[in-house]
Amino acid sequence: MEQRSGRASSGTCQPDAGRALTKALRDERGLATLETTFAITILVPLLFSVLEFGSALERWLAQDAATVQAARYAGELGGDAPELRRFLDEELRTAGIDPDRVSVDVAPSRVGWREPVRVSVASAYPVSIPFLFSTTVPLRSSAISRGEVNR
Amino acid sequence: MVLTLVLAPLLLVALAGVLQLGALRVAAARVRAAADLATLVAVNDQDDAELARTGALRLSADAVDVAREYFARELELSASFLDGAANQIAADADVAAYPSAPSYDARTGARYDRPTVRIAADVPVRTPVFGALALRSVTTIHVLSMSSPR
Repeated sequence: MEQRSGRASSGTCQPDAGRALTKALRDERGLATLETTFAITILVPLLFSVLEFGSALERWLAQDAATVQAARYAGELGGDAPELRRFLDEELRTAGIDPDRVSVDVAPSRVGWREPVRVSVASAYPVSIPFLFSTTVPLRSSAISRGEVNR
Repeated sequence: MVLTLVLAPLLLVALAGVLQLGALRVAAARVRAAADLATLVAVNDQDDAELARTGALRLSADAVDVAREYFARELELSASFLDGAANQIAADADVAAYPSAPSYDARTGARYDRPTVRIAADVPVRTPVFGALALRSVTTIHVLSMSSPR
């Protein structure tokens, strides 16, 4: 549509035809704008969905790995202890997760030799998709180890 | 507009595939961690009498049972991913203990220079989006994990 000059050739000047052509061009530009808007409102949310959920999954993997390490350490310590909390905070921080926004549960808090101990970590990951919604995705991780302290 | 309408379903399918692939990666990592933790727990279960008497690290007599039990416990935590009961998957797993060293793994041919516990398992994981895309609705994750004390 841009190949047309939009100007009537000299000698065959017809004012009505020129106005009609200009109007048609304007209309087509409007259509292109409409198409672009339509495309953006569909494609941008899709693109952001891939990015946001991909990022959430990556964080879930990191949280899982930190939880497994914490479970191992809980087994060595014989349950919940300040050292375990500090270790987990450090692991989460290394993975780019704010420990203050994570809830940690160690059950039971004190275990004996060969008793199972479970560490659970839960956090919420904010997901924001333009034109669609904003929400938080709960990420939960758990791992079980066994007490290694002979009390 | 036509192009957008044609591309939108394709991109939706791509998005669903990406999410399913991500979930599968999380499931695979969990299964690997489950096997690793189970073998570690079993290896830490040392023969106390032997350790006190000779100072040698020896696997406990029930190391295989402990590994299998903890593998089931760990898998149970990811039950929503699994296409089957965690207990059954753990029961079907090939768990072996090699109490003396050196020893050779009959399954993998690996040589162990220390007492070792090994888990080899096929863990079926649900992948419903792949199923909807005419791919496999259940993906089997092969996991092989071994631990030795030191």
